[in-house]
Amino acid sequence: MSLVTEVVVPRYGIAWYPWAVQYFFLIALSYSTLWLAAPGLILGKQAWMTTARIALLACVSTTLVAPVALLADLHQPLRFWHFYAHPTPWSWMSLGSFLLPIYLGAVVLLAWLAWRPALKARSHQNDGWFSRVAGWLAWGEWQAPRAVLALVGAGALVASLGIMLYTGFEVAIVKGRPLWNTNWLPPMFVATGVIGGCGLILVLNRITSIRHPDTNRQMLAILVGACVVTGFIALTWFLDGVNAVSGSVAAALDSVSQSAAWRSTAIEGGIAGGLLATLAFVMRRSPARRKAMGWILGLLALHVAWMFRWVVLMNVQTVARNSAGFHDYHVAFGSYGLLGIIGIFGLWLTAVMLIDLFVPWREASSDPQAEPVATAPEATSISASFEGAPSHG
Amino acid sequence: MDPIRRTLLGQLARLSAGAALIPLAGVANAGINDQPPRREGDPTKRYGMLIDLRQCIGCQACTVSCHIENAAPLGNFRTVVSQFEVEEQGSGEVATFMLPRLCNHCENPPCVPVCPVQATYQRQDGIVVVDSDRCVGCAYCVNACPYDARFINEQTQTADKCTFCAHRLEAGLLPACVESCVGGARIIGDMRDPDSEISRLIEKHREQLMVLQPERNTLPQVFYLGMDERFTTRPQAEAGIWDVLGMDGKEVGYEFGH
Repeated sequence: MSLVTEVVVPRYGIAWYPWAVQYFFLIALSYSTLWLAAPGLILGKQAWMTTARIALLACVSTTLVAPVALLADLHQPLRFWHFYAHPTPWSWMSLGSFLLPIYLGAVVLLAWLAWRPALKARSHQNDGWFSRVAGWLAWGEWQAPRAVLALVGAGALVASLGIMLYTGFEVAIVKGRPLWNTNWLPPMFVATGVIGGCGLILVLNRITSIRHPDTNRQMLAILVGACVVTGFIALTWFLDGVNAVSGSVAAALDSVSQSAAWRSTAIEGGIAGGLLATLAFVMRRSPARRKAMGWILGLLALHVAWMFRWVVLMNVQTVARNSAGFHDYHVAFGSYGLLGIIGIFGLWLTAVMLIDLFVPWREASSDPQAEPVATAPEATSISASFEGAPSHG
Repeated sequence: MDPIRRTLLGQLARLSAGAALIPLAGVANAGINDQPPRREGDPTKRYGMLIDLRQCIGCQACTVSCHIENAAPLGNFRTVVSQFEVEEQGSGEVATFMLPRLCNHCENPPCVPVCPVQATYQRQDGIVVVDSDRCVGCAYCVNACPYDARFINEQTQTADKCTFCAHRLEAGLLPACVESCVGGARIIGDMRDPDSEISRLIEKHREQLMVLQPERNTLPQVFYLGMDERFTTRPQAEAGIWDVLGMDGKEVGYEFGH
């Protein structure tokens, strides 16, 4: 036996900044809310229409902002066009750079088709700039058949599968970071993404004053399911690797046993996840509790989804690979840290507010030929959105 | 025979076989995360390095000369000598272990296929380089390298790494670290030339040579002679240097620029 002390060793910084967490968080919210919008919007199930409208707002806003965070994580953001000048089919990141615009385009097109009837209706009102902008956004009086919306929706769903695959495997193939190098990571990203997506819809259901009981009920049911799936994936990951000498689980156990920070993170994550699953399970059957607590649970769900990504992407980078101990990482105040995190959240809020201002998203329709009752922006209140689906031709 | 040595022998066997089979690397139509074809460089050569740890005194002359030659920013290193104090717990005897680190110019480099714009690539002579005009600074390669051989250069905002001083090799000079090594511990050369010094040394010490983290299947081409197996992976060590705190409770001493 001998005691080894490190005397000279360089300090290695982290290479991916909190921007990466913001991207993985937003893009996961984006694809999960797209799937949550699908029953109402793409399949035309009326009971899901209110949820679909909120989900579509969540999906479009996160889809628009996520690439900004991704771009910001590049050290040379202005060279982003190199991705398209030098296509590299063997790199997951390059594949992602082609998938992302396709996905973004499909989502925006889907939302546009769903919002057009309401936009056209608003453009006919005499509401000054709002009508004028609605007219520009609607881009003519023509009508798209419902099949086009369903087709674009199906395309967006397929593209979202590509996004799930690439965001997961981009990280999971990195052998240099044993904690990432597991096939259980991609499904875990998706499962926690669905948790976050349900959370975001629960929160939006409250803060947009829609407060639809169906949405609370549906989201809590899916939230419970996603928690169970997440738990199973985590358990399988653990059992799969607990006896291995090296690998993802061994690296995690090493980190938890060696570092107080990792221990507290594991405890915090465990408590947050456990609390979320328990509360969601307890509250899912009581409409009164759902109404009172749904949005708080939504915030907790968002916290779980965000924190999982923070731990995976940031904390794992502090595990030293060639030296003892852990690298020091403190979130900087500037654009590489706190300002970036807050800035992206602010950008998302701006996107939501702009959409809310200029798009009658509460009247989104699964049928582009529908003729909804037009509402002026100031009239988009609780009562208006409680009316549910527009007339269905 | 222990597994590490067995792996290494397998690698060496593969290396010598690979020398005759250059198209092996030129696998076109690569699958996702497969090695792309190599480009540029002299296909008749395969550079590698052998580091004779018995000759290394940990003077960091290589670290300094590399830093000057390649103008890395303060705090970032293309090569560095890790130093450990090893105390035998029974006798209390203390020895120092020196471990020069640099890019391993792996035969199966994990940093290359991840690059989304092909800015980092392996030349036909085995040297892994970065085209800093093309690099977008996504830092994917920095995370992909298990050896911490890469960093984002804060001046160029692109990935930076050891190139075996390719610019010097092409001019008929030795890399800065080799040139400045006082003990002659670093030997670089063409492993496809059976008469080169490195080929002769590899032949002579085949049984003793070790590489870093052989279990990752990266097939490193920097070979260590006089290596202790415990240091081929992340060392089980005390991070002694970081315990030095100043009056205000902050670390003092070994910190650059950040």
